[in-house]
Parts: sequence; C-alpha cells; structure tokens
Amino acid sequence: MSELSAAAAEALGIPEALVQRSAAARAAETGASVDEVLAAWAGGGDVPAAKAVEAPPGTEVAEETAPAPPAPADDVVAPPPPPQVTASPAEPVGAGQVAALTTASGKPPVLVGEGDNPIGVLVGAVALFLAIFLVGLVGPALPAAIAGARSSDLPFSEAALRGQDIYRSVGCASCHTQMVRPVVADVDLGAVTLSDSNQVLGTRRFGPDLSNVGARTTASQIGAVVTGLGDHPSLALAAEDLEDLVAY
Amino acid sequence: MAATQTADIKALLGADADGDRVVSAHFLVGAVFLALAGALELMALFSLRFGGLSPVGYGRMESMANITIMLGFLVVSLTGGIYYVLPRLTGTRLWRRELALTGLVVTSGLVLIDLLAVVLGLGDGRQPLGLPWWLHIPMLGALTIPFAVTMMTIRSREETRSFVTLWFVIGGVAWLPLLYLAYFAGDLPFISSLGEAYSDLFFSAGFVTLWVFVVGGGLFYYTVVKELDIPLASRQLAAVGFWSLGFAGAWWGTAQLMFGPGPGWISGVSAALGLAFPIGALANASNVSLTLQGHWERLSDKPGVVSGVIGLYLGVAVAILASFASFPSIGSVTALTAYWEAIEYGALFGVGVLLVAGITFEAMPRVSGRDLSSLDRPRSFNRWTIIGAGGVMLSLVAAGLVSGFSWVAGSNSAAYVDAGEGWAAGAGASDVLLLVAVGFGVVAFLGQLAYAATVIGTVTAGRAVTQEILVYGSDDRQGTREATVAEGDDE
Repeated sequence: MSELSAAAAEALGIPEALVQRSAAARAAETGASVDEVLAAWAGGGDVPAAKAVEAPPGTEVAEETAPAPPAPADDVVAPPPPPQVTASPAEPVGAGQVAALTTASGKPPVLVGEGDNPIGVLVGAVALFLAIFLVGLVGPALPAAIAGARSSDLPFSEAALRGQDIYRSVGCASCHTQMVRPVVADVDLGAVTLSDSNQVLGTRRFGPDLSNVGARTTASQIGAVVTGLGDHPSLALAAEDLEDLVAY
Repeated sequence: MAATQTADIKALLGADADGDRVVSAHFLVGAVFLALAGALELMALFSLRFGGLSPVGYGRMESMANITIMLGFLVVSLTGGIYYVLPRLTGTRLWRRELALTGLVVTSGLVLIDLLAVVLGLGDGRQPLGLPWWLHIPMLGALTIPFAVTMMTIRSREETRSFVTLWFVIGGVAWLPLLYLAYFAGDLPFISSLGEAYSDLFFSAGFVTLWVFVVGGGLFYYTVVKELDIPLASRQLAAVGFWSLGFAGAWWGTAQLMFGPGPGWISGVSAALGLAFPIGALANASNVSLTLQGHWERLSDKPGVVSGVIGLYLGVAVAILASFASFPSIGSVTALTAYWEAIEYGALFGVGVLLVAGITFEAMPRVSGRDLSSLDRPRSFNRWTIIGAGGVMLSLVAAGLVSGFSWVAGSNSAAYVDAGEGWAAGAGASDVLLLVAVGFGVVAFLGQLAYAATVIGTVTAGRAVTQEILVYGSDDRQGTREATVAEGDDE
C-alpha cells in the first residue's frame, strides 16, 4: 500500500484495496500509470480520459449527470429550461456502446466487476438445483416398502372419488391433515401413516386431523360441520356434492 | 406533456426508452397486485380466526392471496428489477423488449385467470397456489420468458466483467421455472400423495429462497452501490450469500413434513443442509452492512435503501426461524402449526415486499423520468411494513408454539383422551394470538397501499427528473455521451 493509494483512499472515503484495484483497472484502460491515476484521485486532479473505443463499455454503469433543478410546477411565467445536450469531448461512439466511464468527480466507478463467466454460474446453479431436487424431492417421495405400513390405496367408491375432488377444490387440505404421525400429539388419532398413496395428506392443521374421521363421527355430524357448525366456514355445496364429500 | 417529452428526448438520443417502459410497466402492474394481495391475505387471516364468518374458506382465500403475492407481485416486480439492471450491467439493450412485455401481459392475465379458477372451485387445493393442473402449463411458459430475455441479453453483452448482481439474476431466472416445473410434476397422475405434498413444500420454500431472497438480495446489492456511490464491501461475501442460498434451496420446505410418512433420513438431511439458509441470508445482510459502514447517515433521504436493509435483516430472522424449526426436536412442536404460516408470511409479505421496494424506489425515477411523488409515503411504507409484517409473523410464531406445545403437553399428560380433543384445546389456546395477527395484518396492508401509492403516484404526479443514457442506438453516432434533460412539470 503506497502513500498515494492511502491518500486516494482517504480522499474518496473507500477502502484502500478497492482504490488500488480500481486504479489498476483505470490505468489499464487509459494507458496512464497507476500512480498517475492515484495521484489524480488523491489530489483531485484530472483523471486521464478513458479511451472510448478500447474501453470496455459499461464496466460499471453509465454515469448519471447531476440532476437539473426542475421547474416549479405552477410557474407559468418562466419557461421551462430547454433541453440541454452536453457533449463530452469524445470520439464518435458506435452503436451498442455505453456512455463514458469517467465520473465528473473523478471518483473511480463503484460497480466494479470481475471477469467471471455467466455460463459457468448458470451451469453451477442448474446443477445445484438438480442435486437438491433429486435428494430433497424425488428421494423422499419414492414409495418405500415398509413392513406393516398402512397404505391408503383405499377402494374409494365413485361418490367418494368425486368427494375427494371437492375436498381438494374447496381447499380443505389448507387446514386439515390426513396424516397421523408417530408423535405424542397425534395420540388416539388412529394408525400411524407410514406410506400413503391416495389420500390428501395436507401440511397444516388449523382444523383437526381427518384421518379415519368417518369411523369417529357420523355422516350427519360431518355434514353439519361442513355447512357451518361452530367455527367451521359454511361451504355452499349442493346436496349431491355434500353427499359425495361425506362419502369421501 | 413532460412524460412525452422525456420519452421523445430519450428516443432521440438513442437511450433504451423501450426497455425502461418495460421496467416501469412491470413495477406498476406489480404495485396493483400487491394492493390486491394485501387485501386477500388480510381476508385469509380473518377467515383463519373467524372461519364461521368468512364467505370463502381459508383454503381458497390463502391460495388466492398466494397466487397474487407470489406470481402477481413478486414474480412481476422482481422481473422488472432484473430488466432494470440488465442493460446497466451488461452495456447492451434488453433483448427482445416486446417479448419481455408479452411476458408481463401473459403473467398478469394468467394471475387473473388463476384467481377466477380458484374462486370458482376449479382448483386442486394443492398449496400454495391451488391451481388446476392445466393452468400450470401456460404459467410455466410465462416464467421461462425472464430466463430467455436475461440470458440472451447477457449473451450479447458489451461488458465482460460481472458485478455480483448478475450472479443472483442468473440463478434466479434459472431456478424459477425449474421450481415451477417441480411443482407441476406433483400433478402427474402417477405421483403419490406423499410426492405431491413434498412437491408443494419444495415449491413454497424454494420460491422464497431461490427467487425472493436470491433475486431480491442481488438487486439490492446494485441499489446500495449505485444509490450511495460506494463500492461493495466484499465480492467474496456476496458469493457466499449467493451459493449458500442456492444450496439452502428448499430444505426448510421438506422439513415441514417431519414425522410424516416420508423416510426418516430426510429429517436429518434437511435440518443439516437447511443451515445454509441463515448463512446465506446473514452473508448478504452483513455484506450490505459493511458496505454502508460510515454512510448510514446518508440513508435519511433514500427510502429504497432503507427498505432493502430492513428486508435483509428481516430475512435473517425468517431464515433463522425456518432453520430452527427444521430440527426434529423443535419440529415435533411446530410441525403443521401456524409457525410455518408465520415464516411464509414474513418471507413473502415482509422480506419480499421490502426487497422489491429496495429496487423499485431506486429505479422508478430513472425509468419513468419522474422523481418519487413523495418521500413520506415510502417512509410510511417502511414503518408500517416492518411493524405490520413483523407483528403478523411474531403473532403467528407465538400461535404456532402455543398450539404446538398444547398438543404435545396435553397429549403427553393424557389430558386429551378423545381424538380431536387435543387439537381443539391446542388451537383454542392460540385464538387470541390469531386475533392479534389480524390487527397487525391491517397495519401491513396500510404499508402495502403506501407502496402502491408511491409507485403509481410517481408516474402520475412525480416531478420530472434527469435521465441517464444507457445504451446508444444506431441513430446516435454523433458522439454524444452525456446528456442532461431538464424540463418542467406538466402541471
């Protein structure tokens, strides 16, 4: 760390390591030496202008000009300032190039980047996702042969299958599970659900678990709850749909 | 008049006026959807507490709120943010701006159709969106558009060096359609209900981590550095943040089925690997904090930066809560409870909204040619969002813990004998907290309205400001390199 870079860092109020890196980049672009750039930044002198054609455009971003004070909204006498276009003394710029990198204040640009390969980032991101997908979703979802597991390959009737569709479309699974876990909180809810295939498991239990609910309550009780008994939302179902839901 | 003049002058100078119009269109549509999502979520919270009074059950209300906040607001707005930074970081125009605009139209239209499908009972009840399978296909197509536009823009870039934001953008646009594909796969006929449940949770968690945290955090790096004109503290720490979030993926979603019918090993794996979530969130928050060292006092007139900083810190809290509950010992209490609802709410309506504001408040003046209509509204937005969303989150966390402990303790002590009794007592214990959550939800909704008013008000009533010139087109070969456009307001 040289005195020049320390002075430049102090003048600019940014870490010295970044000043040095920025100065090196600027020097490479302008053809000036690093010390010249640092001296300019430290002393507030002129920074060598970037070579427009050779400079990697948009290294950071196009620098914005200082905002002009807007005209008062209700000022009808004074005409609004005419649009000004101030051209910097620069070489012609071809299509697709961005504005000059040099800031008016001579500060080094702050959006400093490095030359990494976006395709590499993309490939890494996709590969990472695939790994997580396989381990975190496909792996645990594969059917496992567990001895004694309760399977709900239940022979649903036609009405019950229609009822399952209603159960889904109404959003019952947002509040009710059909999943008895081997934890003390699920005591007395019935056989533990170990492997399932045609139930709607659900992931929230704002309402009670509905596993084997048909064995614990009567059809009329279920019908009464569904149509608004207690705190349960009243579902406006046709009589036929309600029968199907109860059958499920 | 001013807007027309601005656009004309920008077109004359060859600036990327079309690209900026695409960006502002995304922000405007997103703002409208946020106001709608806030109202729907408030109704969902209400129906959670007062189920008997709600005309539409919590299940449908929650799906509708999720569709609106996730697809309508977070996808649309963050995509707008991506389209905003891409030309500024690559030095080239946005690729096929008309395609980007088509993506916005299609996504917005599909969100409205989705809402209609759910309210009409055509959905399949799968969380978080509850859509019928056939609506996933066009949405999947719409979600690939940001990927195509982003990668093709980067392909033709002039700038060979990458600012860190580009990593986050690339990761986000690649992960989003893949996540949605994984969610869609849960609808395949041969997928078991267990696979379906894992798919739902994988998508819910992955959307938060791989889209909201990754893209929102990445865009905010740009905001901080650009707004304050200070260099990023550490590129390495940003890399840690990016890859940790990528690694964290959706593990905290998988963990929610703890003790369920899945294999036992997944609990340990998701708990251990899920630790990457708070690491990633913390890396980004600390990196921004280090960047802002010595510049905090400059944030008083930069509401967007304040929004993003609050969002990052809230994100750390969300990530820690999610990671905490992924361990079996805690999960045995919190599983299936409102605790997880709290995390999702905090992530979507807290972190997501704040991070979007972090880029929107910075970008709107530059893409619309008008300054923020007011600094008071963004400040109110920040205040109400942190109080409201934070309050809802804490209330629901407490509700989840109370009901969880009640279930466990009641069952353990044999206080509950009949099936269902334990649930009723456990859920009843948290009723007051759910009521508190509704109250905080109202405050959060006020914040969401303030955001929408700020974004929309900027276009309709903001004062004209200086424009930046990004990319010169074929019409501009005279060497004009900087331009100042000053003009009066049109009132």
